[in-house]
Amino acid sequence: MTFEVLDGGLATTIQDGGRLDSGHLGVPRSGACDPWSLAVANLLVGADAMAAAVEMTLVGPTLVARDSTVIGLAGADLGGRVVEGRRLAPGRRHRIAAGETITFPGDGPDHRARAYLALPGGIDVPEILGSRSTCLAAGFGGIEGRPLQAGDVLRGGAAGMPRAANLEDEVVWPADPLRDATTGQTILRILPGPAPGVDALVAVRWRVGREADRVGLRLDGQPLADGVAGETVSHAVAWGAIQVPPDGRPIILGVDHQTTGGYPVVAVVISADRPVLGQLRPGAEVRFQAIERGEALAVLRRQQAALPAGAAALLHATRWDELARSAGG
Amino acid sequence: MSGRLAPFGDAALLLTLGDHVDPDLAARAQAIATAIDEARRDAPGLGRAVPAHASVLVPFDPLALEPEAVTAIVRRATGAPRTPAGPFDERIPIEVAVRYGGADGPDLDEVAALHDLRPSDVVDLHAGAEYRVLFLGFAPGFAYLGGLPARLVTPRRATPRTRVPAGSVGIAGEQTGVYPLAMPGGWQLIGRTEARLWDVTRRSPALLRPGDAVRFVPAR
Repeated sequence: MTFEVLDGGLATTIQDGGRLDSGHLGVPRSGACDPWSLAVANLLVGADAMAAAVEMTLVGPTLVARDSTVIGLAGADLGGRVVEGRRLAPGRRHRIAAGETITFPGDGPDHRARAYLALPGGIDVPEILGSRSTCLAAGFGGIEGRPLQAGDVLRGGAAGMPRAANLEDEVVWPADPLRDATTGQTILRILPGPAPGVDALVAVRWRVGREADRVGLRLDGQPLADGVAGETVSHAVAWGAIQVPPDGRPIILGVDHQTTGGYPVVAVVISADRPVLGQLRPGAEVRFQAIERGEALAVLRRQQAALPAGAAALLHATRWDELARSAGG
Repeated sequence: MSGRLAPFGDAALLLTLGDHVDPDLAARAQAIATAIDEARRDAPGLGRAVPAHASVLVPFDPLALEPEAVTAIVRRATGAPRTPAGPFDERIPIEVAVRYGGADGPDLDEVAALHDLRPSDVVDLHAGAEYRVLFLGFAPGFAYLGGLPARLVTPRRATPRTRVPAGSVGIAGEQTGVYPLAMPGGWQLIGRTEARLWDVTRRSPALLRPGDAVRFVPAR
């Protein structure tokens, strides 16, 4: 359960469910941009859904296995493969033999941005402020608070492999129920924020700009002019908040957002659509759809229920397709 | 209840107490956040409250708690005593040693000129005041300090620096503060400290915490 990093890739970090209790210290939330795929990757290898895993963006790392292990892959297809060997598709568990090199060159067919690689027991890095996530802004968490680089070593957790026998099997997680939209125009469902301006936001066809990372996404499109006030006194903000700065080009906050901000927040992406938000690439077309709170929670409830149900189905391998359909958003 | 409570998506409420920078509002926001945090014991799914200048964000798990239940908790918290930790005046200030001016404080002369002061006057004024941590935000361990003498109130730089060294002491509007990490920033830099504002190897990584009293001591 050990890999050595030969090449770190573009922006590869260790992330888990995030640092939820330190916002009052100015600490970003961090964590996986796509928590659904993090959970799928982890559950494929019998780890806790929110255990620490490798998050790769657009171009992933190249890793050599020091011993025989299994990995769980989920999220975008970044062209993962064993060097001079078989393909490593997402949504599956794969066995990697000692000495094999795996790579994620980013030439996959996917329109999504991020993939997750999990090891049994979660990746073993120190917990800081309740999380193993990499905090890039302050340089702590994960591996020395920075993206992976050549020479780093990734180890699975000691507490892993509770069901070792099952890990021998090749298993497949079903099609992600909430992802069908991400190849063309992505719909992000929103609820109103504390500042007015939802209607103007919904009316415009947006495109993700080049400034797109874990901190946030800048949107290009017809700038919002009227109905959006100037700066407010800084208040705490949250993942998925849509801020409108004076230039009228919205910013959707990502997991690494600063804890406070002074721009008006006109809407917030629903919790259930955070995984979709975390998969947007520069250039992606985005529209917003305002929905009711009750609907937002119904989708979230189905999504949350699909994870343990999926994990159970991995063990029993029964009726999984049907389950996935019923979890659709 | 005082303040306006508005939904912030499906997983948070934002309590807004006012629309301007005011140390009293910040103190009130802190007290409310503390009271909300005390309610977390009995309310699984209630997140850690994040106070700011004049507001408190209250995150929660929407599948565990109804907004009405969170509203009730916030209502109770707004009625809580103002400063559970004791009056501000009785706190012993945390002393931060600062080298003012020169390469450590490249904007000191400009700030002095703006106010028709000598650089040494700026140092005397800045080091002569006692500050209070209004809240932490912007970056890990970044404390917004209230209590800047009126004669030192200075706008941010027109063009932010792409990199401000860790420990830099700056002024922005009515606030002063210390950059805990090297990062981009637009505050007017008047000095620098060796004190580690943020250190994850400490039990409490943030040197300055909401409500703390702070004094700057010239180090040269």
